[in-house]
Amino acid sequence: MPSNTASSSSAPAGSSKSKRPKYSKFTQQELPACKPILTPGWVILTFLVISVIFIPLGVVSLFASQDVVEIVDRYDNDCVPTPARANKVAYIQGGSDKSCNRTLVVPKKMKQPIYVYYQLENFYQNHRRYVKSRSDSQLRSVKDENQIDACKPEDDVNGKPIVPCGLIAWSLFNDTYALSKNNQPLTVNKRGIAWKSDREHKFGKNVFPKNFQEGNITGGGRLDANKSLSEQEDLIVWMRTAALPTFRKLYGKIESDLEKGDTIHVTLLNNYNTYSFDGKKKLVLSTTSWLGGKNDFLGIAYLTVGGICFFLALVFTIMYLVKPRRLGDPTYLSWNRVPGGGR
Amino acid sequence: MASSGGGLSVESSSPSLLRAPSRTVTLGRIQPQAPTYRTVFCNDRDANLPVRFKGNSISTTKYNVFTFLPKGLFEQFRRIANIYFLGISCLSMTPISPVNPITNVAPLSMVLLVSLIKEAFEDWKRFQNDMSINNSTVEVLQDQQWVPIPWRKVQVGDIIKINKDGFFPADILFLSSTNPDGEIQCEQPNNSLYTFTGNLIVEKQTLPLSPDQLLLRGCSLRNTEYIVGAVIFTGHETKVMMNAMNIPSKRSTLEKKLDKLIITIFCVLFMMCLIGATGCAIVTDRDHEYLGLHKLDWEYRNRMTIAFFTFFTLITLFSTIIPISLYVSIEMIKFIQSTQFINRDLHMYHAETDTPASARTSNLNEELGQVEYIFSDKTGTLTRNLMEFFKCSIGGISYGCGITEIERGIAQRDGLKIQEEQRSANAIREKGFNFDDPRLMRGGWRNEPNPDLCKEFFRCLAICHTVLPEGDESPEKIFYQAASPDEAALVTAAKNFGFFFYRRTPTTVYVRESHTEEMGKIQDMSYDILNVLEFNSTRKRQSVVCRFPDGRLVLYCKGADTVIFERLADAMDDVRKVTREHLEHFGSSGLRTLCLAYKDLNPEAYDSWNEKFVQAKSALRDREKKLDEVAELIEKDLILIGSTAIEDKLQEGVPNCIETLSRAGIKIWVLTGDKMETAINIAYACNLINNDMKQFIISSETDAIREAEERGDQVEIARVIKEEVQKELKKSLEEAQQYLNTVTGPKLALVIDGKCLMYALDPTLRITLLSLSLNCTSVVCCRVSPLQKAQVTSLVRKGAKKITLSIGDGANDVSMIQAAHVGVGISGMEGMQAVMASDFAIAQFRFLTDLLLVHGRWSYLRICKVVMYFFYKNLTFTLTQFWFTFRTGFSGQRFYDDWFQSLYNVFFTALPVIVLGLFEKDVSASLSKRYPELYREGIRNSFFKWRVVAVWASSAVYQSLVCYLFVTTSAFDGKNSSGKMFGLWDVSTMVFTCLVIAVNLRILLMSNSITRWHHITVLGSILAWLVFAFVYCGIMTPRDRNENVYFVIYVLMSTFYFYFTLLLVPVVALLADFIYQGVERWFFTYDYQIVQEIHRHEPDSKNADQLEIKNELSPEEARSHAISQLPRELSKHTGFAFDSPGYESFFASQLGIYAPQKAWDVARRASMRSRPKAPKKK
Repeated sequence: MPSNTASSSSAPAGSSKSKRPKYSKFTQQELPACKPILTPGWVILTFLVISVIFIPLGVVSLFASQDVVEIVDRYDNDCVPTPARANKVAYIQGGSDKSCNRTLVVPKKMKQPIYVYYQLENFYQNHRRYVKSRSDSQLRSVKDENQIDACKPEDDVNGKPIVPCGLIAWSLFNDTYALSKNNQPLTVNKRGIAWKSDREHKFGKNVFPKNFQEGNITGGGRLDANKSLSEQEDLIVWMRTAALPTFRKLYGKIESDLEKGDTIHVTLLNNYNTYSFDGKKKLVLSTTSWLGGKNDFLGIAYLTVGGICFFLALVFTIMYLVKPRRLGDPTYLSWNRVPGGGR
Repeated sequence: MASSGGGLSVESSSPSLLRAPSRTVTLGRIQPQAPTYRTVFCNDRDANLPVRFKGNSISTTKYNVFTFLPKGLFEQFRRIANIYFLGISCLSMTPISPVNPITNVAPLSMVLLVSLIKEAFEDWKRFQNDMSINNSTVEVLQDQQWVPIPWRKVQVGDIIKINKDGFFPADILFLSSTNPDGEIQCEQPNNSLYTFTGNLIVEKQTLPLSPDQLLLRGCSLRNTEYIVGAVIFTGHETKVMMNAMNIPSKRSTLEKKLDKLIITIFCVLFMMCLIGATGCAIVTDRDHEYLGLHKLDWEYRNRMTIAFFTFFTLITLFSTIIPISLYVSIEMIKFIQSTQFINRDLHMYHAETDTPASARTSNLNEELGQVEYIFSDKTGTLTRNLMEFFKCSIGGISYGCGITEIERGIAQRDGLKIQEEQRSANAIREKGFNFDDPRLMRGGWRNEPNPDLCKEFFRCLAICHTVLPEGDESPEKIFYQAASPDEAALVTAAKNFGFFFYRRTPTTVYVRESHTEEMGKIQDMSYDILNVLEFNSTRKRQSVVCRFPDGRLVLYCKGADTVIFERLADAMDDVRKVTREHLEHFGSSGLRTLCLAYKDLNPEAYDSWNEKFVQAKSALRDREKKLDEVAELIEKDLILIGSTAIEDKLQEGVPNCIETLSRAGIKIWVLTGDKMETAINIAYACNLINNDMKQFIISSETDAIREAEERGDQVEIARVIKEEVQKELKKSLEEAQQYLNTVTGPKLALVIDGKCLMYALDPTLRITLLSLSLNCTSVVCCRVSPLQKAQVTSLVRKGAKKITLSIGDGANDVSMIQAAHVGVGISGMEGMQAVMASDFAIAQFRFLTDLLLVHGRWSYLRICKVVMYFFYKNLTFTLTQFWFTFRTGFSGQRFYDDWFQSLYNVFFTALPVIVLGLFEKDVSASLSKRYPELYREGIRNSFFKWRVVAVWASSAVYQSLVCYLFVTTSAFDGKNSSGKMFGLWDVSTMVFTCLVIAVNLRILLMSNSITRWHHITVLGSILAWLVFAFVYCGIMTPRDRNENVYFVIYVLMSTFYFYFTLLLVPVVALLADFIYQGVERWFFTYDYQIVQEIHRHEPDSKNADQLEIKNELSPEEARSHAISQLPRELSKHTGFAFDSPGYESFFASQLGIYAPQKAWDVARRASMRSRPKAPKKK
């Protein structure tokens, strides 16, 4: 007697074949699996492991950060002569002499290389309008110099394309610093301050500035029309836009050691207008460690997290001792508790 | 024609003369046609040509090559998320967009691509299936010989031959001659499986056609060498195909809740954009000269325009908050769950019928995990529809000493011990017969007080039926093919009593009678069957007019007690009374009863009646009604013989399953057409009701109602019943509430019958009924119609807003199955309609345990986790972007590179969550069944509450803050050892890397079961990101594509800072979740977590299944287990199953839903190869 059933029109064939599904671990949902249970033991152990790893890392990072010597000097206010302070914008836009002298004292021995940075605050280099206002293809090759669509409003001057176009280039930072120690000038090396990849691939060797800063309003620094873009490292650094409105950019490096107590005179040209929007300007001299600059954040974070984990391990241990719950106690099952006591 | 089993013969070979004009009707795919007629010329393709019947090739595909793209895309864009992304993509083409269009186009196209591939794949499968069906061959009569042709070439009017076990390629009119040349007039194609009217016109004779002669496409031929038939309906016009088209489409409750979540996300998005726009309007300042704002840009004209445009900018920027790939991922997960897990689960494979479970839709997997109410049909679902002759009452004496399982159960509940059945050593036990009483067996009846009545009893059993004997004509080897197992059981009983029915021709029944004349004497008797008044649902009885060899003319009748008692002759009041008592006793033992009666006819009266009968039989209109009317004329003044009692066996494992399900917090309602007593007793046997329960019985069989009914005024009856029902309901509800207020009150049960239910469902009483029934642990509705079944279901579904599941096997369950959230059909039997209407088909009721407690629960858990994870990962990602916006003067500058953003969803975080959706298990399958209470977490919707959403949202806020703040803060002075500073893209790449790692590792933290696929996909995703970054940062394309991130990853990786941050940030980000989970497990433990802990040392092996039965049985369970383990015969039926022709179909017919009365006729008629009866002239 045939055991098969005719159930629908979909199967006229294969009446002798069994419909029994084939066994496989996948279809029977029996794949081998590890089933971690977050028992208190595991929780405490995890906390301990994290703290054991994190605390030393925190200490190491902090030490690295402590090794870094950093001199920060805010000059935007001080470099405006007292009488002009009432209207700084007028001063900075005026034609008067912008030079300014600053004196820095080295608090600790600084080993070379010492990096010179400028730091801007409240400057939205990450503003949408600003970030997109550039043309990478134009920067890279001569033949694309007309690709200026993205660069508005700094795209052309009287119909001639600006190279490099866009707001970023237009607003190039142009304060300059001349450093001297004991009246001996300190050489600030401005070569090799940009990322190599930028220098070699994003800025063309045969692209030269054209029509730059020739519009009605001059935004910032000018460029040497005889140097190709790939050599204009200030521009390259500037055009790697910063992530946050407070940022530092590399200005140059000093390739000699500075001793503790050395006095450094800085003669700077305070050209750049941050006054209209209350942007601060700072000059920073800093050494580096293997981990980067002077930034305690990582170290403190590591230490804090490690500490918290250690603390939690303790708390959990105490709770474990004070209010133990037997693992897998059936009386905790909701239906074994008072009626309606479940969740 | 007298015998319903009579084959139809067409012996003429002359061409037909009458060719009625026929109408061509354009046929829709689904719509049943207007009631016109179609005319089919047999074996004459030319004549049929002008009508242009549809071909027999079928196509179930949704698309073809040309429609695929437009139609498929249209389908996709019906989804709100896709439309949204289409809008966003358009928006991102405009200059206000902060992002490249690719950011939104890429994920959208990816999602569309995947969806379309899935659609195409499914459609391809359908196409292949169609092709294999269309190309299977069948033999067609052409030029007097059988020519095999493919199915698709079969045309209306063709004469085809189907061999044994072959499938019918179209709806076929069964013929018994191989050279017909007639004309068939029949109804237009429609989707009613069980009705058919038509006429066969041969040699000017008109022969009536009924569903009996129609063989449906897709059925197969059994037990017969071959048959011949004329094709009537082909292809999409076949009844089965017209039925198959409208699969109901349901959406799960969770998915509807998901919509709410999506709307909430939209609100959050709106808020974020509003904040950003306001901020931008406030912050934007012309003094920032470097922004070039002095060069009048019209969108920066004033603060309003700034806010307006920024708003849209931000919408484009934050579009990632909408989890675009969520729906397609869920769809894929559910698709695999249903096709690979549910359909292939060996636990749900029924070997006897060779039926695996089948998920007919993948929409409702997780709905299975939240079912709170199950509405179950009784016959075929809870019970086996396997009937055994168990007891009888003849002439007022009750026979049979068996004890039913139900009686045993009752006795055990009452604490009585039952001595083992004292069965004589040579008691006969076979399929359909489980009776022992020496008073009747082996001729013992001759010594009983009423031997003549006994003889009539046995003859009635042996003659009055439509059973067909098969196989050898010996008592041992014969096999009875019957419409319902009741009938087979009765004939088997007659055989065992010595009245062996062994042969049937359309006109004669042959019975080998023992002990009739004298003890031990055996003689073969032949009874001419003059008329068969068939069983149907309105009549609830069946009669046969037969002529004894000695010329005696007798009408035998059997039927429901009510109809028989109405038609008895006035005498014999005492027998009637005693028999009624017996009937009640049988009923309360859970037995199904039938009354038997007979009547001697006088020949003249019979002849005049027969004329009327023949007329009615050939009527084209209202044939059934006319037949019923004629039958009434002769079925009166009957003499009561006695009654039979048949045991209705429970399906395997039903009590156990019900016990488990109710422990899972699921309430089971039985909706049956049976009598109240039977229903209650089945409920007892199934553990649904026990004596500890307080039972509320609302019955229409009360004195007040009966009195009103006797007065007969319909309006009055309605009023009385309504009042009674109202009174009862109020009283019960008050009582129920009292019990509920006490702590240790008994469980409650409600029993209500269909008549009362009709009034209780009235809008005024509905609320009372609902609140009463929701307080009850079990509810039994008896004598209900299919419509009422559906009404009760939607009462709970809509009124109580609970998730409901209906399970049934018959056509009368269809409306109930469609009304519930989840419809389950019992497959493997014949009941095609229930399965066709269902969302899931299983072979046995007990598989509900696996379907709900294992698949449903896991599916719910998985989908919840998947949804939550999608929500979390998109929110986290978007929030980092949002925090960044605060530091860009709300300008809407994007934080991430376009490609990073577009691939985040579809590439770097896509696969682990799918693995989670497939492999997540909190506890193993056997533990799920062992602790059914775990299921309650789904009923309570513990994993998809706003509370859970809030936890995930806070996790997202925290993690995004950690990723964003930690990296930006530490990167302020981050530089490489040669003092070079990081720019925007370096920082964002750093954040992105941390984010991808944290979000991917979060999967592992939330998984209860981590397979190697988790490892592979999580590590794979992180690696995929790194590899992508290496490649993407390493190349320069000739086209301008804002090469912001050029070399970024190499720059980053050359610093120690990178690695220090990479270790710190993900650990800190995940730490909070880790603490939360630790605390939650310790102090606010979920049940499943405790179960995990209890069994933490056990390997997840198979022998856990065996362990559980031993350990877990309470005395209650042990009993039900023992009952379910009692020896019983395995079903040996041929694959045809029947809805019980009993009382349920009565209601079905009233509502226009025809119960399958005749499906079995296929086989019966097929095997009738004896001399057919000549058709009568009109």
